[in-house]
Amino acid sequence: MGGGKVTDDAVMNFAVTGKDHHFLVDADLEEEFSVSFRCSVCLDLLYKPIVLSCGHISCFWCVHKSMSGLRESNCPICRHPYNHFPTICQMLHFLLFKLYPIVYTRREEQTLEEEMETGLFSPQFGYKECNSDLQHHHPRDRKHALDSCFFRNGEFCASTQQIESVKSVSMIQAPTMSIPNKVRDENCCMIKPGSVEESNLPEDKSNRNCKQVSIADVQCSTCKQLLFHPVVLNCGHVYCETCIGPVNEMLTCQVCQSLHPRGFPKVCLEFDHFLEEYFPTEYAMRKEAVQAKQVPVKFQHPITCSTKASEKSFQSSLVTTRENLSWRADPPSKVHVGFGCDSCGVFPIVGDRYKCKDCVEEIGFDLCGDCYNTCSKRPGRFNQQHTSEHKFELVKPNIIHNIMLRLVTGQLDSASAFANHDDASGISENESPAPILSSDAQDISRNSSASAATNPDSAEDENETQTTR
Amino acid sequence: MSGGGIARGRLAEERKSWRKNHPHGFVAKPDNAQDGSLDLMVWKCIIPGKPGTDWEGGFFPLTLHFSEDYPSKPPKCKFPQGFFHPNVYPSGTVCLSILNEDYGWRPAITVKQILVGIQDLLDQPNPSDPAQTDGYQLFVQDPTEYRRRVRQQAKQYPPTL
Repeated sequence: MGGGKVTDDAVMNFAVTGKDHHFLVDADLEEEFSVSFRCSVCLDLLYKPIVLSCGHISCFWCVHKSMSGLRESNCPICRHPYNHFPTICQMLHFLLFKLYPIVYTRREEQTLEEEMETGLFSPQFGYKECNSDLQHHHPRDRKHALDSCFFRNGEFCASTQQIESVKSVSMIQAPTMSIPNKVRDENCCMIKPGSVEESNLPEDKSNRNCKQVSIADVQCSTCKQLLFHPVVLNCGHVYCETCIGPVNEMLTCQVCQSLHPRGFPKVCLEFDHFLEEYFPTEYAMRKEAVQAKQVPVKFQHPITCSTKASEKSFQSSLVTTRENLSWRADPPSKVHVGFGCDSCGVFPIVGDRYKCKDCVEEIGFDLCGDCYNTCSKRPGRFNQQHTSEHKFELVKPNIIHNIMLRLVTGQLDSASAFANHDDASGISENESPAPILSSDAQDISRNSSASAATNPDSAEDENETQTTR
Repeated sequence: MSGGGIARGRLAEERKSWRKNHPHGFVAKPDNAQDGSLDLMVWKCIIPGKPGTDWEGGFFPLTLHFSEDYPSKPPKCKFPQGFFHPNVYPSGTVCLSILNEDYGWRPAITVKQILVGIQDLLDQPNPSDPAQTDGYQLFVQDPTEYRRRVRQQAKQYPPTL
């Protein structure tokens, strides 16, 4: 495998000849990005991308906002059910920054602004070198270091003032879009934490290299070659499909040792197509090599999630997954509505929930029973300043609150959804406790819908829904 | 875990992509607010009846109401009150699987897909899930009268120039 560097010509060819790639032009900034990297939820360039186990990609906040705090969630693209909020895929994050620095920076500023408003923050990325440096630094230098690497402000950076300073740096750069050389250089080496050679490049070359994606940016954590049929685990680490299988029990990430819940993840097709287009020769070689190896039959074809296939699997999974979840049988007693585990990402937490007594962030820091017992040391999902010295308390689910919530939302769901009840009705009606407690339940939901709904029609539609059932 | 304003950004993108390209005969644009500015949360649309069906020639006005939870939650789609169709409530609200948050809705569904989906529904009603008695009973019991009513309704909504 040759150097793995893409020449300027190759980049040009890619842009011109990329057959399947339609490019979207960011109107204000005039930087094109491939439609493959457009988030289907916000329809903008992916920012802090998360890959779900069905292989579909969406932004951190887009995934989080489409999750249900009451029950399992569905992929915003294919409705594939899942329970765990995955960690951001840092490889894609840095790849996108490298490919589209201008739009990605715009997305960063935009998101940070929204985060400032809500007071909830997404994880800020740092590298070990960066963090350890900073820990030894004097506070004064720390501020400086922060300024110089605004793009990777490490996990230490959480307080509003610190974010503020980060923001001001980005904003200063916004008008001209000229990121100071020093920062660019650091970004370069940051993108390739494993390689030293980049950082030793002369200053004048660093600019050009920033824009190029090399194979080192997109290599498998196991085989250290160009990714082929990439799959992304719940922890956000990326492997070739063939490098993690076959699996007998639960998948464990070899990088961070965290368990991957729920079966074998599907290939991230958008990412795979990108690799095939961007590194045609290397990709072809990898393909040959993989096929030449005696690969188990299981991996002859990538496990993908085309919409049609998923429709089918969705139908079957409706039944199977729901049966598997024991808590569904007796939901109100065990579910912590709206609380997720900051370690494995399960959302909502079912069973024991441990709440940190020392984290001051509004969103709090919680662990599920399993992660508490395994003494998970991972940082919070929302940039909390949790440390191992913090104390936990066991929290019991609020049963009454849960029953009320389920009743109200169950009723509201049916009121707002005007459903095609043919297939779903059996399931949803069995699950919903509403029919049993009907008179009370309707009172509750009427009151709440009257206060919640501004549109007078919703009450009418609710009645309609009930009459047609 | 509050909502936060993804809805407007998404709708601005939807608007951009619609203006770039949209199916022939369809109209979709944000409503004018009282002060004359655009209200991105309410879209006025027109769905043409499919050629070759009894719905042909009709240009049916549809209003999309988006909530702040969009695209996590689907928009509410309304024809005029009393619209004749087995799967449209008397209030005009469309009953369609892809518009049901618990069943078929996915945040990835675009405005374009919604409108085309509703155009398909016009000529392919789902009798297993009726939303109004009038349209449903005629559809099941008196197909001839049903077709007459559909064609009559199509004439009520001529193209607006």
